[in-house]
Amino acid sequence: MDLHTEMLLDEYQAALPELERLLEKVLSKLREALERNEMLVTAVEGRVKTRSSLEGKLALKGAKYTTLSDITDLVGARIVTFYTDDVDRIASMVEQLFEVDWDNSVDKRMLHQLDSFGYNSLHYICRLPGHQFRFELQLRTTLQHAWASINHDIGYKTGVEIPRNYLRRINRLAGILEMADDEFSRIRTEITDYRRRVQSLVKDGKLDDVQLDGDTFSSYLQARPFDALNKRIAAINQAEIEEVPLNRYLRVFKALGCNTLGDVSRMAHQYENDAYRLARHQLGNTDLDILSSAVGVQNICIVCILATGGGKLGLVRLFDAVNGHNSQNESIAELTYEQAKNIQLI
Amino acid sequence: MKTNIVTSGDQVEARFIGRLDTPAAVQTAEEVKPLLEMTNKKIILDCTELEYISSSGLRIFLSIRKEAAAHNCTVIVRNINADIRQVFMMTGFVSLFTIE
Repeated sequence: MDLHTEMLLDEYQAALPELERLLEKVLSKLREALERNEMLVTAVEGRVKTRSSLEGKLALKGAKYTTLSDITDLVGARIVTFYTDDVDRIASMVEQLFEVDWDNSVDKRMLHQLDSFGYNSLHYICRLPGHQFRFELQLRTTLQHAWASINHDIGYKTGVEIPRNYLRRINRLAGILEMADDEFSRIRTEITDYRRRVQSLVKDGKLDDVQLDGDTFSSYLQARPFDALNKRIAAINQAEIEEVPLNRYLRVFKALGCNTLGDVSRMAHQYENDAYRLARHQLGNTDLDILSSAVGVQNICIVCILATGGGKLGLVRLFDAVNGHNSQNESIAELTYEQAKNIQLI
Repeated sequence: MKTNIVTSGDQVEARFIGRLDTPAAVQTAEEVKPLLEMTNKKIILDCTELEYISSSGLRIFLSIRKEAAAHNCTVIVRNINADIRQVFMMTGFVSLFTIE
């Protein structure tokens, strides 16, 4: 080890606590900014370069560095995103957070020739304002991270040069993952567009144009279609209403033959009055003054099942679907059936 | 009306015995207070010996559920009799709880 390397390593040892503080600050600023911008990522991680790793680096190109602060990756942070679009969004965020050393930053995604594939990441060299040391920030997708990690494991672990044939196969995989990354981003964009279209159709009341599925049913529920019935039922005992997710009724509506939101809406209107009558019959003689927001839709489904000849078995299936299979569902179905019979719903 | 709370590892069992009506609710609300402060637990509301539940009782169950959700706990209602199940059904509370 030459004198210059020794000097740099001594400088490193003295600076170690400061480098660790810098890493903590960087990670904390990144996490705060991601939360503020409501961006979900797979990982935010970092490390301070170890002494042995620095020794290796200096052995290779020690002459390049006059002082320790010339080395830009003593502190390294990494953000791993779900989508390739997010890499660019986070890059913009990083440009606002830190001073970017553009001369030393590199977008490895842009370095490939038209016919080459391999390591893809965005590397920024940054500085916290007023801080002596710079740090490296890597931004990459989960798939790019997987490729880079496995490539590192295969390529560097053994220390033996990899034959060209294997390198080609590894790089081919980088190409496939690049395609997969693009496809994931496209799928996300198309789903977002689809949701906007559905919301717009629901808002405009064009419910017959909207196929019934998990996504569209959620949009429909946002318009609170069962609120009016719930309020009528709540008025029976001046009850308060506790909100509860209603998504589990999707499969009930599907089982009842609804194919579009228009079908659901028509069914709700058709059976709304009978659903109210059933609730009045059940609750009228009680002092129950707390209800869940599922009460309206539940009664609509009960009334529809009975009106379409589903009978007690249909009610058992409804309770099994909504509340989970339970031996008592049968006796509840029996009781509900009798109550419905008492008010001539059957 | 009596409530016994038994903790065993990550699981807490509250056993309700008697009629949880409006007069009994004040005392029961006091007795279940330890449940509201628990974190990362599976809370079982054992109703094997619960004969009746009123709106006040439902509100106590609801407050347990709300605090549990805020403290990363899960709540299971166990062994309710046919009358109480009917109350849970009429009020739509079946959609609020996991019932075993």
